[in-house]
Amino acid sequence: MASQQDIKRRIRSIRSTHKITKAMELVAAAKLRRAQQRIVAMRPYADRMLELITSTSQAVGNVRGLPLLESRETRTVALVPLTGDRGLAGAFNAQVLRRSFALERDLQAQGIEVRWLVGGKRGRSSLRFRHRELAKSWTGFSDQPGFGDAQAVAHGLSELYASAQVDTVLLVYNRFVTPITQTVVEQEILPLPSQVLEGFDEEDAPPPVRGEVLYEPDSETILARLIPAYLETEIFRALLESAASEHGARMSAMRNASKNAEELIDHLTLVMNRARQADITREILEVVAGADAL
Amino acid sequence: MAERSLFSVSVVIPERSVFDGDAEMIVVPGEDGEIGVLARHVALEALLKAGSTRIHLSGGEVIELATGPGFFEVHSNRALILVDDAVDLREIDASRAIAQLEEARAELGRLESGEIEGDRWRIEQKIKHAEYQLAVAGN
Repeated sequence: MASQQDIKRRIRSIRSTHKITKAMELVAAAKLRRAQQRIVAMRPYADRMLELITSTSQAVGNVRGLPLLESRETRTVALVPLTGDRGLAGAFNAQVLRRSFALERDLQAQGIEVRWLVGGKRGRSSLRFRHRELAKSWTGFSDQPGFGDAQAVAHGLSELYASAQVDTVLLVYNRFVTPITQTVVEQEILPLPSQVLEGFDEEDAPPPVRGEVLYEPDSETILARLIPAYLETEIFRALLESAASEHGARMSAMRNASKNAEELIDHLTLVMNRARQADITREILEVVAGADAL
Repeated sequence: MAERSLFSVSVVIPERSVFDGDAEMIVVPGEDGEIGVLARHVALEALLKAGSTRIHLSGGEVIELATGPGFFEVHSNRALILVDDAVDLREIDASRAIAQLEEARAELGRLESGEIEGDRWRIEQKIKHAEYQLAVAGN
């Protein structure tokens, strides 16, 4: 049986682990709140952007010749899992990667070539470990992505697409549902879905105001600039969702860890008290036995 | 001067909505020159370059923003300014502007060395946006 000293040492060690997990839980909760606010805050921009792109493309009519809209027969797919830069977030990183590998298997079974790009250090190291060749990786912002980060990602992806190195770009990330649930989704971001141009909801679409709108310089040029901006917005949204999911996943993982630590401490305290009692009883017995012997 | 009628103006950046309210007049940096808009302007869509956006409120007060590149739309008496970044001139954070400037210059450098391909115009606009903020801040 372990001595009192050993048990005391274990309790101390678990207690300090508990302090760490508790602190991480609180930090994640605070960051989660901020991440949620940022998702809400970016909505007006995203909505307006969509309205603008829909009305402009209606004015342009013929949208051929814009490289990001051109859809081709799929021979090569770019898989872009968005992971975190740090671990200790439950299944957050693992489930994105698991889904990505499943997609890779499916695509390869259909004879489609897969190219990997990745966001987040966790995904990068894990893909390297499995000897996947990474065309590009973006790291250092999974915690708090800025719009500039989204621009960088969007830029890298559009280049691959516009130069016809890939025919489809699939983003795989955790969509934020509630602080304790994240679902992995895959989103085809390139070529841009045609609904973007036609309006997602025909009934709600504003009546065309063609002919009475002034364009400076002209509608084609504006649309050509709007499309990359829309892509950036979509990627920004995905990055924010992923960040909120990461904090949510970390918060619940750390909450569980803290709870386990508390249970363990309770149990060990009990064991220690029993051991102490046993020592005392034994000492008394020894004293009594010694007295009897006299 | 006669009372001017008002129209609604929103300035939105990806991170948040910067301004939402009524104004008498706005002046935005269009790609081919400044565009001034009063109430009941004809429907308009334009590209914006980095520069200064001025919102004239009803009391004669003027809000001046340093805005990055983006889009401008006027539609049924509503004006929408959709830009990468917008900073009130009274609230310029010089260290943030310097960081923006350095980042954009580094990006331009990578573009020129052929390390990345990209939209040169966009990067130049970012530099202008940062430089403008610094000029106003007096650095």
